[in-house]
Amino acid sequence: MSKTVLIVDDDADVRDSLSVLLMRSEYAVKTFASAKALLDAGDPGADCCVLADVRMPEMDGLALQRELTARWPRLPVVIMTGHGDVPMAVKAMRAGAIDFLEKPFEKPALMEALKRAFALAGAPPAEAPAQKISPRQVLTEREYEVFQLLVAGDPNKIVAYKLNISVRTAEAHRANLMAKLNARNLADLVRMSFADENS
Amino acid sequence: MARPTSPAVNADSLFDALIATAVDGIMVIDERANVLIYNAACERLFGYAAEEVIGRNVKMLMPEPYRAQHDGYVGHYLETREKHIIGIGREVSGRRKDGTTFPMNLSVGEGMVGGKRIFVGIITDLTERAARDKRIQDLQTEMWHVSRLTDMGQVAAGLAHELNQPLTAILNYSNAGREIAQEDEQKDLETIFAKVAEQTARAGNIIRRLRSFIEKREPNRIEEDLVRTVEEAIRLGMPDAADRNIRLELQAKAGLPNALIDRIQIQQVVINLMKNAAEAMENSSKREIVLGVAQASDEFLQVSVADSGPGLDKDVADKLFQAFMTTKKSGMGMGLNICRGIVEAHGGRLWAEANPGGGAVFRFNVPIAKSEP
Repeated sequence: MSKTVLIVDDDADVRDSLSVLLMRSEYAVKTFASAKALLDAGDPGADCCVLADVRMPEMDGLALQRELTARWPRLPVVIMTGHGDVPMAVKAMRAGAIDFLEKPFEKPALMEALKRAFALAGAPPAEAPAQKISPRQVLTEREYEVFQLLVAGDPNKIVAYKLNISVRTAEAHRANLMAKLNARNLADLVRMSFADENS
Repeated sequence: MARPTSPAVNADSLFDALIATAVDGIMVIDERANVLIYNAACERLFGYAAEEVIGRNVKMLMPEPYRAQHDGYVGHYLETREKHIIGIGREVSGRRKDGTTFPMNLSVGEGMVGGKRIFVGIITDLTERAARDKRIQDLQTEMWHVSRLTDMGQVAAGLAHELNQPLTAILNYSNAGREIAQEDEQKDLETIFAKVAEQTARAGNIIRRLRSFIEKREPNRIEEDLVRTVEEAIRLGMPDAADRNIRLELQAKAGLPNALIDRIQIQQVVINLMKNAAEAMENSSKREIVLGVAQASDEFLQVSVADSGPGLDKDVADKLFQAFMTTKKSGMGMGLNICRGIVEAHGGRLWAEANPGGGAVFRFNVPIAKSEP
């Protein structure tokens, strides 16, 4: 049985273009125009991954994520966001989403997120983030402050404002702490923050 | 002298008591503007004791330029009998002993006593009303200012989101096309698709910059009384409800916790929803807007704006919050989009439902302020 990506987005063109993009991949695709449509379709079973937009009318991606975690906790979810919706994406990750992608995204980023999601499919979400590095131990005090604001969804400029440092300094801290933590993107940082909280 | 009084009371002492206990300032001056009577209320208003004022020219109680001109006014009246203030009354400024001025309503009457002309002035303190008017004016100015900033930011945010969707589709299609071209070894086509993807990424970056520009506005969220916030929004946004035959009602429970909000932004949302409601009811015979403030959960307070208009039709309901979506003849179609942006920035949600009694209800949640432990 092939792995299936369940695309949920209220925009028909986004759904279609994702189907086209994934046509030549190892994944099969099913599309849903709303969160409700996905839920109404019933338990998708094993070897599925949900790729859902965070901003949809009626039930948004975050509410969908919560509902899915309650109904089918083994179903991995990747959230798609606009640039400004990072705080919402962070909330979705806290609710158990595996990863998030900022629209528009390149294919490698999508494939990476799906690969990770399918690798974790079937594992209870609580056990998913197994991180060896603890940000609190590795980072300097200032870097840790920056880290905490970033995983709360603040962009560099707001981080700079809140910590009363220049944007350039905030960016430098961000680059340093990403390197120290071996994080490729914000989603990685968010995952690490969970590990940190649970430690 | 025929003054209608009860025979049991001395008319003069009753008259004195009337003057002394009046809430409004009462003053009598003679033809040369010298003060004859100056009651207790005047003492409170102007800060001068009666003995400091009686016998002196009343202009001492006026700020410049009236102080310098007053004698001229009186002389002009006595000469020409042209009435400017006598018998009418108007809003003027008074000068207190400490030099400060205050707004007051002055009505002046004229009479003859013992063959001498006197002028009677009744003074009502307008300080409080003026303060209230000024506060409303300040609020309106502030709201206008912040609204424009917020609108700009929210328009940009709304556009960014709406543009991101087609950009995502373009990028996906061009990446798929590039792969197919690659497989079919169509070099030229592959290059072209790569360029399309590149340009899409470029457009995406412009939006990214736009968003970081918007995020510059520092949120100003503090603990606020949500009921008072909504009341103020009603005053600011719908002062003319009665003139438009709209019945406005606010239903709120006492003792609700405070909300953590940017007051002006939330007022902007409430005003926007009220105005939409009023416009929706333009052709309705029953015009009623019921606003509600209630606790929705442990985390959220909820504001609702219900109207008695025709309600939302299905087609419109689906697209309600999209940018540039409007059913109005004139309108940008940004209002609800902006409102939703504001509410979401507060961590809440804004949505619409059918009003069970007919019409539509818009509801939004805002977070309850959790006091620091």
